[in-house]
Amino acid sequence: MTRTRVPLYGALVLLLLAFFAPLLWALSGSFKPRGDIFGYPPRLFPDPFTLDNYQRLFSEQPFWRWFLMSTVVALVATAVSVFVCALAGYGFAKFRFTGKRLLFGVMFSSLSIPFAVILVPLFVILVKTGLGSPWFALIVPWVAPAFGIFMMQQYIVQSIPDSVLEAARIDGASEFGIFRTIVLPLLRPSLGALAVWQFLQSYNSFLWPLVLVSDSSQYTLPLGLQTLFVSEQRQYDLVLAGAVLAVVPAVALFVVLRKQLLEGLSTGAVKG
Amino acid sequence: MTTAIAGRARTAEERSGTHGTAHRPRRSWAPYLFISPFYLLYVLFMLVPVAVSLWLSLTEWVGLGTPHWVGLRNYRLLATDISFHRALGNTAVFVLVAVCVVVPLALLIAQALNTRGLRARDLWRTAYFVPIVVSPILVALIFGLLFDRQFGLVNSVLRALFGTGGVDWLGDPSLAKVSIALVMVWRWTGYLTVFFLAGLQAVPRELYEAAAIDGAGRLRTFTTVTLPALKPVTAFVVVTSFIGAAQIFEEPYLLTGGGPAESTLSVTMFIYRAAFQRQQFGYAAAAAVVLFVLVFGLSQLFNRLLGIGRATS
Repeated sequence: MTRTRVPLYGALVLLLLAFFAPLLWALSGSFKPRGDIFGYPPRLFPDPFTLDNYQRLFSEQPFWRWFLMSTVVALVATAVSVFVCALAGYGFAKFRFTGKRLLFGVMFSSLSIPFAVILVPLFVILVKTGLGSPWFALIVPWVAPAFGIFMMQQYIVQSIPDSVLEAARIDGASEFGIFRTIVLPLLRPSLGALAVWQFLQSYNSFLWPLVLVSDSSQYTLPLGLQTLFVSEQRQYDLVLAGAVLAVVPAVALFVVLRKQLLEGLSTGAVKG
Repeated sequence: MTTAIAGRARTAEERSGTHGTAHRPRRSWAPYLFISPFYLLYVLFMLVPVAVSLWLSLTEWVGLGTPHWVGLRNYRLLATDISFHRALGNTAVFVLVAVCVVVPLALLIAQALNTRGLRARDLWRTAYFVPIVVSPILVALIFGLLFDRQFGLVNSVLRALFGTGGVDWLGDPSLAKVSIALVMVWRWTGYLTVFFLAGLQAVPRELYEAAAIDGAGRLRTFTTVTLPALKPVTAFVVVTSFIGAAQIFEEPYLLTGGGPAESTLSVTMFIYRAAFQRQQFGYAAAAAVVLFVLVFGLSQLFNRLLGIGRATS
């Protein structure tokens, strides 16, 4: 490291603190007794250290049920959307067909429709048609993300040579057979990236479950925590514990698969 | 993502054209089958809702019974509804924060992370990205507690440093907007940095070397080499953050509830409140149609101007 690099690393460390200090503060606060959470100066290491917030969260609130609800819904939404995106991405990457340009434009333009625009009608449609059951309706907004199709299309164009597909066709493979046995396996890294992203989108989603779920036995994690947050007692000690528990798997998932995700997200933006 | 996609996809298209992979009449049904699941879902859960929204916006409906046709009355009411005007104004402020503060900041950080020979680049990039994967509930809780007037850490620090710390971060109309803006910066900057960094890493080194040989300084290199090369990424990032900020909901809903005095009420919150707290479904739909026209119209305009979205032309 040359001497001139010192300010650069200093700035990067300051930024790191700005992004991480609030999270560390929350993590540490979740192990403090309620009265100490606001203590000044803030202590990084809780003293006294207590697991009381977590114990009360588990005994007083159906935390694990919320967690299960969120996780299962997110997994289903992820599986469906990844499959839909891989299919469409392949279709756009490796075929020429009439209307391709128009269809692509239509798909692209769906990126600029804010969710709030379809919030009310989607709710009305699903409830009126009897499809408003959270198990089905909660996954609906995440099943067909246009950006995922881009990601897949880009990856396929860059990494799957036409010759491989052509050879399989000459061998008499069916089109879907080619997709399943050749394209999907080659797509794996990119599928992983999209899956993580879609999982996080659904897992962290708030507005749609807020509108849709009224039965407290079907609350997702963010909804359950929100009820503690806005309740009369403002149980922020319990919410801190619950939110820390909710965030840990999401961050862990991201950190483990960060390479694929960060590269996958910016694929199109870059090696163009 | 998109513009660069444009460049890339076109070359791929040419390639497949010359090799003639896909031009097989007997297989012509295949691409339609592959893309059909998306369009089925698209029609059911995107197109139909937008159409229903248009129709609902011309009715008065409390959510039960039959919607009552009222023509353009909801739009006339919106035109004079001070709350809706506030929601539009606040949302415009949030959009400006995203485009004029978060985006440049992300570019600056990406530029720093692109320094040649930087150590632990993956660590910085990953760490800065983390806020976007954190549940909005925790974000709201953390900042709600930090900005608390009496006990919040921010005021405690101010008190310790300057002796005065009674700042009402979430209770004062203009400061509440600032607080929401700070949360936006915290949450979105690292996410956008990733795109800029990827764009910067794709700029050929030779361009910088050529600029250095020509004796160009740092600023000049930035304006003549970096910025032009980054145009596609910048276009994508600007449009993405515009659309994201235009539908902001969680930050104001959880942190300030839209207050004080509707100073942080966003358009999405306005729609949510009208439909699900006041049972004015028609009115909410009309507000949604206005949002649609603004966001969709402006992003199409940006796309046209910046040349995005012609991926497979």
